[in-house]
Amino acid sequence: MPEQSKTEYQDLKAGQKFPPAAFQIDATTVSDYLKAVEEDNAIYQNTGLVPPMAVAALALKSLIGAISMPPGTIHVSQEFEFIDTVNTQDTLTSHASVNRIQERGKLHLISVDINVSNQEQKPVLSGKTSFILPVP
Amino acid sequence: MSTQVELKEGTSLPAVIKNIRQDNINLYAKASGDFNPIHIDADYARKTPLGGTVAHGMLILACVSQMMTSAFGRDWLSGGKLNVRFRAPARPGDVITVSGSIRHIEKGDGHQMVDCDVLCSNQNDEPVITGDAKVKVGDNENRS
Repeated sequence: MPEQSKTEYQDLKAGQKFPPAAFQIDATTVSDYLKAVEEDNAIYQNTGLVPPMAVAALALKSLIGAISMPPGTIHVSQEFEFIDTVNTQDTLTSHASVNRIQERGKLHLISVDINVSNQEQKPVLSGKTSFILPVP
Repeated sequence: MSTQVELKEGTSLPAVIKNIRQDNINLYAKASGDFNPIHIDADYARKTPLGGTVAHGMLILACVSQMMTSAFGRDWLSGGKLNVRFRAPARPGDVITVSGSIRHIEKGDGHQMVDCDVLCSNQNDEPVITGDAKVKVGDNENRS
C-alpha cells in the first residue's frame, strides 16, 4: 500500500471521505495472520480463502494510515458485515468516510464507515469503527 | 463445511481459549501493519497509563471470528455480522476465553438468521469484548 498523507484528527469533518486504498492479501500475509491469531481451521488450509478479520485488519490499516491520531486513542467499538468471501488473488479497495464526530468533555468520539469491494466492484465487507481521542 | 452446532436458542458455541503472548502481538502487528508502539514497544508502553503493552483489540476480535467460523463454517465468511465493544485491554500473560451462545433464531425464506451473544473475558472474569454476532444460515445445512 502506498504511503498516504495523514489528516490531523482535529481537522476531520463528518461526511469527509478518505482517498480509496487498494490492497491485496497474499498467501504469505494470510499465513502470518493465521499464525498470529493461532487459527488452524481447515477452511483456510490450501483453499485460498482469506479470513474476513484479516480483510478487516488491512482495511483498518488503510484508515490508520490516513488519520494522525494522538497517544491515548482508544478503539472503543467495532461493527463488521462480511458480505462475501475473499481469495488471495483478489484486489480489494477500501473506502472510508467519517460518519460522526462527537465531543464529550475532554474526549472526541469519532466513527468511521468502511466499505471494501473486490476487483469486480462487488462489496465484500462493510463496517463502522469508533475511536475515543483526547481533546488537545 | 457447514454449521457445526445445534441450531437452537440457548446452544453454546465452541469456546476458544487464548494465551496472549507478546510474540503473537508482534506477529499480528506484522500481519495487520498496525505497529502502534502501545502494542509492541515495552519501554514506550511502560510510560503510558496502560503501564505496558496491550494486544490489538482486533487480535482479540479475531478470536471471536474464529469461534464463529468453527461454529458456522463458510456461512460466517459470507453472511456474518459482528457488533462489539472493547471493554478492557488484553495484556501479554492474560488468558482470554471467547464464548458465546445462540440468543435468537429467526426463520426466513430459505434461511435462518441466527443471533448470538459473544463475550471475551480474561482470567479474572473481566469482560474484554462484549457484543453480538449474527449469521445467515441456509435451511439446507446439515444439523448436528
